[in-house]
Amino acid sequence: MPKASPSFDYGTCMACRACVDACPFSCLEDRKTGLERYNKAFPEMARPEKCTGCGLCAAACPVDAIAMLPSPAPGA
Amino acid sequence: MKGYTGKILLVDLGTGESEVQAVDDAVYENLLSGVGLGAWYLYRNIPAGADPLGPDNILGFTSGLLTGTGSVMTGRWMAVCKSPLTGGWGDSNCGGSLAPAIKHCGFDAIFFRGISPRPVYAYVDNKGVQLRDASACWGLDAVESEERLVAECWAAKKPAVAAIGPAAERLSLISGISNDLGRYAARSGVGAVMGSKRLKALVLAGTKAIRGEDPEAVKNLSKAYSRTMRLVNMPAFLKGAVLPLMGAALGAVKVAYSLDGMVSAMMFKRWGTAMNSTYGMTNGDAPLKNWGGSNADYSFKYYHHLNPDRVLARESRKYHCYSCVLGCGGVCDIKDLGKGEYAHTHKPEYETIMAFGGLMMNKNLDSIFYINELMNRAGFDTISAAGAVAFAIECYENGILSKEDTGGLELRWGDSEAIIALLRMMIAREGLGDLLADGVKRAAERIGKGSERYAVHVGGQELPMHDPKIDPMLGVTYAADPTPGRHTTSGGLYYSTSFLWTRVSWLPRFKIHPKAEDYEPSERGALENVAMTSFKMLIDGAGACYYAMLTGVPHFRIFEYLNAATGWTKSPDEYMEIGKRIQTLRQLFGIKQGYDPRKVRIHDRAAGRPPLKDGHNKGLFLRTEEMIPYYWKAWGWDEASGIPTEATLRGLGLDELLAEEAVHA
Repeated sequence: MPKASPSFDYGTCMACRACVDACPFSCLEDRKTGLERYNKAFPEMARPEKCTGCGLCAAACPVDAIAMLPSPAPGA
Repeated sequence: MKGYTGKILLVDLGTGESEVQAVDDAVYENLLSGVGLGAWYLYRNIPAGADPLGPDNILGFTSGLLTGTGSVMTGRWMAVCKSPLTGGWGDSNCGGSLAPAIKHCGFDAIFFRGISPRPVYAYVDNKGVQLRDASACWGLDAVESEERLVAECWAAKKPAVAAIGPAAERLSLISGISNDLGRYAARSGVGAVMGSKRLKALVLAGTKAIRGEDPEAVKNLSKAYSRTMRLVNMPAFLKGAVLPLMGAALGAVKVAYSLDGMVSAMMFKRWGTAMNSTYGMTNGDAPLKNWGGSNADYSFKYYHHLNPDRVLARESRKYHCYSCVLGCGGVCDIKDLGKGEYAHTHKPEYETIMAFGGLMMNKNLDSIFYINELMNRAGFDTISAAGAVAFAIECYENGILSKEDTGGLELRWGDSEAIIALLRMMIAREGLGDLLADGVKRAAERIGKGSERYAVHVGGQELPMHDPKIDPMLGVTYAADPTPGRHTTSGGLYYSTSFLWTRVSWLPRFKIHPKAEDYEPSERGALENVAMTSFKMLIDGAGACYYAMLTGVPHFRIFEYLNAATGWTKSPDEYMEIGKRIQTLRQLFGIKQGYDPRKVRIHDRAAGRPPLKDGHNKGLFLRTEEMIPYYWKAWGWDEASGIPTEATLRGLGLDELLAEEAVHA
């Protein structure tokens, strides 16, 4: 089974950092900007090598904006 | 889990010992977590008359009951202690990233007592606490300290750090505690207490799960709130330049009205609290020229420099505290300022902009950005530091301070270079700066010569940038709250957007068209103040944000949130009773410590004695002394002394909650 990793729905995400805080390995960072008028910083995967696919980020998201999807195969 | 962990961590910095204590469910059911838990622990464990900067004082870091449960707008933590500024209850609220980190370590609160023989920082993770040598950090500013400790302590998860700067190390009574590189728990002198304990920082690296009773119900509330928050936006054509007109128009309306709280949210979304910097100038909210002037002095030719659009021009991106869906903060670029020593600063809050702007007749916005970072790094409360500078300028202007006293500085209104030079003296505690670093009350006591008439404070706490003459409920709160001189507890504006009267059975319906007599001292006004303050205590017990509170209970459904997170089935009335209990406990703490509420008096300038002769607030004055007995009586406290009565303590069940033996004694 390929490892799952978080996929963000930026149309739903509120940039609240709950997922960034929930990750036990600090894989995520709020640094993705330029998506909307306020220039909020949205989360994105910053350290994919640390991600275990545990899904704690998705569970913590208050608005269910994170889906755990299979990671693309290396080199894909 | 019911949202809380049921445990607190106790650390004795004198002996290096620590223990974990289980806290009974009854404490949470009666006082929530956050400020309520803090008040419960500190009341029982700080001996009467303790030296605020001595080993018996206890400094607590508390999280909120809702923090981490899937709720939004609930990432606030509280620093609690006996205040060295007022001698009574001390607390200070802050966002950032620390609140969930406390709970990820498995605790609702961490309490420190004693004094470490050497500078240390406390590292806490899933295994417990270690006190580590902080001599390499001692002397560094708060931002440098945090960056260094994150690099030093980052194993698996990036730790959250609360740190103090040089101001707190030097025991400045107006210093605070930083986290997230300059977000501050700034008031009540909490930084000085941390400095007195030689505790440079708290580093939290736990990864334990936080869970509420019904996560899905909590999330559904979060989704509904977030949907509304996403939809409310200021129309793009409304620029910052229109805010003075809005302020003037709303300030001219002679009736009170209840505005939907989401109106303020849409303004905060775009500008942050900077939205009030010109809006508040024309509606009478902003105090000017050390409270002695008006918007006739600091007129448009000055205040248009503080247009919030100009503030946004330096914002490179928004900043959100943990779990915030609003995003009033911002990261601003300032590398072109000063000598280029700072690349970024947090977007200055309204309080900072007005305090270093209108309060001292300064129209140089760039200087305010620079000062903001200077203060954040040094660890000063910007409200109090600005109050101290404005006091010194007025003393100088009136011949009370000479050039010799100021170390050669020409202290003039609006001279931003002199202001920065004086702030550097305060950081270093040199000359006049040493006097000012403990706030205006103590500075006036030492300087004498009638300088107290320029020392604007209540009970030792410098006043925030909100003039109570247009909001008598705020004036009563300034004078009679256990933490005097604070604008974040209660006020008429907050009450009007709370819509509490739609949920709380004992509140009368809001009067949309009050007559002049509705501003007179009355039982009704006192009752509304009690309601608003009780609500704020709930907010602080839950770890919720003040700006969520401002959106009101129709949107921020805190009663439903608390029931979903805990599994309780309490009514709004029962929750408001919890708020009353927390507030009464804060008052009781001060009484135990010798704080005499009768001696706390609002400064003449803030009260309008004598009234201003021009500007929006011309002729206005407060009758706070007549209102306070109504206020105390409405709490069930003795109306002459402000001491909670035995009947009230029994009625709230505080006698039983406080009966246990002190753990640390």
